[in-house]
Amino acid sequence: MKLSRTLAFSRKETLEIVRDPITVWIAVFMPLVILFLFGYALSFDVEEAPLVVVDHDRSAASRALADQFVNTSYFRLAASPQSEEEAEHLVMRGKARAVLVIPPDFGRRLRKGQDAPVEFLVDGTYASTAAIVSAYGRAIIYAFPKGTLELPVQPQVRVWYNPQLRSRDFIVPGLFAVILMAFPPLLTALAVAREKELGTIAQIYASPLGKFEFMVGKLLPYAVIAFAQLALVLAAGFLWFKVPMHGSFALLIALGALYVICTVSIGLLVSTLVKTQVAAMLVTLILTLMPAFLFSGFIYPVFTMPELFQGYSARVPAMYFVNISRGIVMRGAGLADLWFNVAVLVGYTAVVLGLSSLLFNKRVA
Amino acid sequence: MSAAPVITADSLARRFGKRTVLEGVSFDLSPGEVLGVVGPDGAGKSTLLQMLAAILRPSSGRCRVLGSDVRKAPGRVQAQVGYMSQGFSLYDRLTVAENLAFAAAIRDVPRAAYLERKGVLLAMAGLARFEGRREGALSGGMRKKLALCANLIHEPPLLILDEPSLGVDPLSRRELWKILDAARTAGRSIVFATSYMDEADASDRVLLLRDGRPLAVGSPAELRGVARGRVYRATASDPAALERQLTAAPEVLSFQKRTADTFRIQLAGDAPLRLPGAPVLEPVEPSMEDAFTVVAAASAPVTAAKEAREPRAPSAEVRVSAEGMTRRFDDFVAVDDVSLTVKAGEVLGLLGPNGAGKTTLIRMLCGLLPPSDGRGLVAGLDVARQSERVRASIGYVSQKVSLFTDLTAQENLDFFARAYGTPRGEQVRRIDRACDRAGYDAPRDGLVRSLSSAVRQRLALASAIVHRPKVLFLDEPTSGVDPLARFRFWRLIDALAAEGVAVIVSTHYLEEATYCDRLGLMMDGRMIALGPLSTLQAELGLSEARVEDVFLGFIARARGQARAA
Repeated sequence: MKLSRTLAFSRKETLEIVRDPITVWIAVFMPLVILFLFGYALSFDVEEAPLVVVDHDRSAASRALADQFVNTSYFRLAASPQSEEEAEHLVMRGKARAVLVIPPDFGRRLRKGQDAPVEFLVDGTYASTAAIVSAYGRAIIYAFPKGTLELPVQPQVRVWYNPQLRSRDFIVPGLFAVILMAFPPLLTALAVAREKELGTIAQIYASPLGKFEFMVGKLLPYAVIAFAQLALVLAAGFLWFKVPMHGSFALLIALGALYVICTVSIGLLVSTLVKTQVAAMLVTLILTLMPAFLFSGFIYPVFTMPELFQGYSARVPAMYFVNISRGIVMRGAGLADLWFNVAVLVGYTAVVLGLSSLLFNKRVA
Repeated sequence: MSAAPVITADSLARRFGKRTVLEGVSFDLSPGEVLGVVGPDGAGKSTLLQMLAAILRPSSGRCRVLGSDVRKAPGRVQAQVGYMSQGFSLYDRLTVAENLAFAAAIRDVPRAAYLERKGVLLAMAGLARFEGRREGALSGGMRKKLALCANLIHEPPLLILDEPSLGVDPLSRRELWKILDAARTAGRSIVFATSYMDEADASDRVLLLRDGRPLAVGSPAELRGVARGRVYRATASDPAALERQLTAAPEVLSFQKRTADTFRIQLAGDAPLRLPGAPVLEPVEPSMEDAFTVVAAASAPVTAAKEAREPRAPSAEVRVSAEGMTRRFDDFVAVDDVSLTVKAGEVLGLLGPNGAGKTTLIRMLCGLLPPSDGRGLVAGLDVARQSERVRASIGYVSQKVSLFTDLTAQENLDFFARAYGTPRGEQVRRIDRACDRAGYDAPRDGLVRSLSSAVRQRLALASAIVHRPKVLFLDEPTSGVDPLARFRFWRLIDALAAEGVAVIVSTHYLEEATYCDRLGLMMDGRMIALGPLSTLQAELGLSEARVEDVFLGFIARARGQARAA
């Protein structure tokens, strides 16, 4: 391998990139668009869930209970219908997600110190939201009327690492993994496929430029772009979304660099398999973006998946970087805690690069 | 020559899956020799050249290039040769100088040598003024010349060039060959593919390929010798009568009209030609084109579909007229102020290199592209405002033949008949008639994909005339088709014109001009000359001049006028 030839190839590639507005656009704006889109739109927090209260008691106590619900930021009073039928109708039309039914003798039984059952109905159409709503509702009811739970066993539940359970603090570090899996390999695969499509690659084949010089020369500029994307999304995540950082920036950046080298290599592997830019785009998206969203633990935790899909997730490098990124940002984890994920990424990169060099041939067919 | 051969090829073959693309190619190339690989599209030229450059593995056979085996040491071969693929092979976003610098850097050319060679090469290619211009902004001819320079920057002992002058204007083509001649003088060996017979004639040896098999290898003189005694020039006082005789004579393989009253004739056999009425027949020295026609016919005898018919006489009815037609794409003027008329039964040939504006002009006249300026009438309809009706009354065969390759021939014909609103009861009869007129006699139940380019060409013509159009547009219909098939195709066009169809046909084979009633020479979007060949020759004071010289004369004149203005 000769350095001068490799650098000449990288230089040519760089000139082509800076003169193509589309590449620059995909490189800079697309990651930010995705980061802002998902940073703002994707949230599992429940706020202002519409609630209807059917109060058959109309006592001071029943009003107090209803107020307890509405005074939190979790619920808002959507209506106060006279009957359960009317309430059901509102749920049916999607005007209400939860129904609180207070029976006629609620206040009297409470005064006598008897059991005072109330009914709390939750619309289960959105399963994950329903679970959160029912948990909030149960907590409010248990704490009534004194504001504290009085149960024989009193659990002291504390949520570590994200005490307010802000979903943005957990979405944004995950997005780092998804975005850096989507765009760097896409750009790399497109760049090689473009040379195949236009026929410029035939000139490269019929020249002394070796396959490692080609691969390294091609990877270098795209790795630089990928580092820039890494810096960009980290800056936006910490400075704009103000995600709190509990770990080491240096470690996150170092492992982020390892991760983008891995994803750029995937782009190179794809480019050895396809002949056209359209195919490069489709294969890259299917191989990287789709699994990065679904099987990385970015949204759906891997540990709750059926075993078959856990096995599939283990083949998605984004999963390991989701672990690394969330580990460092949210838990302040160090290399000692994350070594397994790091080792897998290193191995993965080696395998992908090895496969690419096996499959890359200086041949037209 | 005692030096070791540059190339030794021994029964080279290449298969893609089950399909054999090339087989049985054997030849040696001595240092400094120039080999022309000649054949129509699909003959296997590119495949052969790619195997010689060691970028395609041979399926069988042996081949050594510059002392290395292409199969065992492809890297050594790749590093030494200069290989120019078909089409444009440089980076369009890089400038002329950047492309050359890149080509030099990946081939380890020292900086001092690079600078020196760059100066010489760019000066020779006439590109010195354009060093800072992006490759994509150059004309087709300039891009080809630059690609050749990029392949000479490391002074390779062997140059492998895949159709270097395809679609290049005549002037650039001459300059391209000037550069190649210099390389040849410097002792470089050259292998090039071409479908231009005159280029083959200038090489030391020629390999004729057809359908993946070598027809002949030899020096141009040897190959022409095969056709000796079978090529005649005929002069007649009644050209129409002679044309009828030639069409009817079974021993005539093909013939071309050279001037108003002279014909060039190729015979199928060695028996001398005898025609009643004693026209003046004189045997002439065969050209490479004659040789290919004779050799190809000998390898695969063909039954020429000939029918005697009345000579054609253009009527007075104007079918196509354009006045000041102009088409702009942003700042770029693709067609600039073009005016012309074509009468019923007349064949107008549009000649010019790629990018001259032929296709854009045809697309405007077909109502497929609205003109930016000017007016066009086709079959009495305005192309801008009545484009729907224009399209229904014309036939159009585009450059990239517009057939559905995954359908059978019959399905394609049915589709086009239906699309043009042929009454159902008429359909079968009209399709049969169209196939007959287009000379399509191959089975109609095979997929179009499996047809050869010449057969596809005739099917495309049949599809375009099912609805009996009054005007026929053919955009480079003969591109990449061998001379004999081209001759047959032109006979069909001739027959259609004789039935009263107005034909506009574009081509970049200048010798095809002789088949047309009138010529339009196009260059950079403008019509630089328009009229019958004899008039154009007379205008330049060059009677009997070849079409290429006439074209070059008008290019020089147009450039002179541009400078004067």
